Amino acid sequence: MSTSTVANEIVQNVREKKEFSLLALIRNEYFLYVVSSVAFVAIWHWVAAEQILGKSLATPYAVIKELYRLTSTELAGQTLWGHIWASTQRILIGFILASLVGVPLGLFMALNRTANAIIKPVFDLFKPMPPIAWVSIAILWFGIGEASKVFIIVIGTFVPCLLNSYNGIRLIEPELYDVVRSLGGKSRDEIFQVSFPAAFPAIFAGLQISLSIGWTCVLAAELVSARSGLGWIIVQGMKQTKPEMVIGGMLIIALVAWLSSEALAHLEKLLCPWKREIEGL
Amino acid sequence: MAYQHVHVKTPLSLKILPIISISLFFGLWEFVVQSGIVPETMLASPSQVVKFFIYKLTEPNPDGAVLSQHAWMSLKEAGTGYLLSLLVGLPLGLLMGWFTTVRGMFRPLFELIRPIPPIAWIPLCIFWFGIGLWGKVFIIWIAGIVPCVINAWVGVKMTNPTLIQMARTYGASDWQIFTKICVPSALPMVFGALQIALVCCWTNLVGAELLAADQGLGYLISMGRRLAMPEMVVLGMVTVGLGGSLIGVIIDVLEKRLLAGIRR
Repeated sequence: MSTSTVANEIVQNVREKKEFSLLALIRNEYFLYVVSSVAFVAIWHWVAAEQILGKSLATPYAVIKELYRLTSTELAGQTLWGHIWASTQRILIGFILASLVGVPLGLFMALNRTANAIIKPVFDLFKPMPPIAWVSIAILWFGIGEASKVFIIVIGTFVPCLLNSYNGIRLIEPELYDVVRSLGGKSRDEIFQVSFPAAFPAIFAGLQISLSIGWTCVLAAELVSARSGLGWIIVQGMKQTKPEMVIGGMLIIALVAWLSSEALAHLEKLLCPWKREIEGL
Repeated sequence: MAYQHVHVKTPLSLKILPIISISLFFGLWEFVVQSGIVPETMLASPSQVVKFFIYKLTEPNPDGAVLSQHAWMSLKEAGTGYLLSLLVGLPLGLLMGWFTTVRGMFRPLFELIRPIPPIAWIPLCIFWFGIGLWGKVFIIWIAGIVPCVINAWVGVKMTNPTLIQMARTYGASDWQIFTKICVPSALPMVFGALQIALVCCWTNLVGAELLAADQGLGYLISMGRRLAMPEMVVLGMVTVGLGGSLIGVIIDVLEKRLLAGIRR
């Protein structure tokens, strides 16, 4: 885990009034964002419309039209909103279960050496296995219902939850404990005044990783076997050779995944205002 | 490490407990399957897996390839995708960290790709590349490139501003600051990216092979499910896990060698 001690000095940003010129405009970051976005969409449209990649790419307009169609027509009994909710629901259940078990367990392991000696070796056996590899065994165990999907998500998200809360406490600077001790704190104070607050940013980083792994897992599960969800929409698009449906599904996944991680980041800011961040990323 | 290690004696119980818990875990696993609490169609015992492993070393049935062929195929795909993602991702990330123009050009595209899980690209890959090697390489490439860019970028951003100001004072050009100060100081983060990208690549290899493949470790796992042979699934998972940690160890050693002089 990288600590974000950028520098110890205070950097003062003084805003200067800049003269407007063409060169300044070209060097402006936000202007370039707009330019490159427009260029990207334009190239995409051109490649798709000229059918350079054959019929395997849809124009941006076709994608939007397809998405609009999906919001009103029912696919397997559900509109697009239903499928979005189906995927989100799976992730929420799995993610909450995993974090409720993983984070306390990680904290406990870091604070208690005996527990660590018992659990860590077994955990280390499971750690390197990719969560997607569990898809097959989950289907053998739970069939192709909801349970197997939630199981995969729990397995996948559990690892970073536990690992980050564990490392979060392990990597605390020992000086902080010395301060509490020299001020006459008991070991309870050490845990509540130092360990938990200091490990909080690491825990939240773990939750963020978990969330993105959760999206990977839910997609893997839905790609292999499902009757609903965003992964299923993509598979349907593939089976019907409709690239606009596939790309539309991917865009929706990107949007929902981004929104969920933003929501988590917002929660972190509320709960943990002492975290230091690197600006601009 | 800059500071000296103080040797603290660990109590005997802490040394023994891991061994006990590991053997207990395997014992319990073996027992649960042997006694029939968990049916054999759902889980294979460790001894069955070992037996199947020895069988699989020489016998291509029932999935059409020997274990080493599967492993080699996976390694080839993951290796190609990984190297390509390093080749593109690291320079891109470094440049995006320092040059506003590069950042302006690539950031919107990157932000669009970043939240999409790599396995969501599978259908498009099948459209574009078929189910051959390059489709899988593309997915692994996409998986690896995101952490590469992010880490290189953060590495440059974390450069000590004092150093940059000093270089400016001595009249260094933008490009000189980038190559002489930003890139070296980003190196630890870049090596971090090597590890993270490797994990991402290896994870998504299994995903890529789950859907469309005729060889490889992920294919072994999904064939095991289709044939309802849990020992095959477990064998595949163990091989993937072992392979991943083995490559991780190699990179770790390399990193220690190359970065011996850099303070972290």
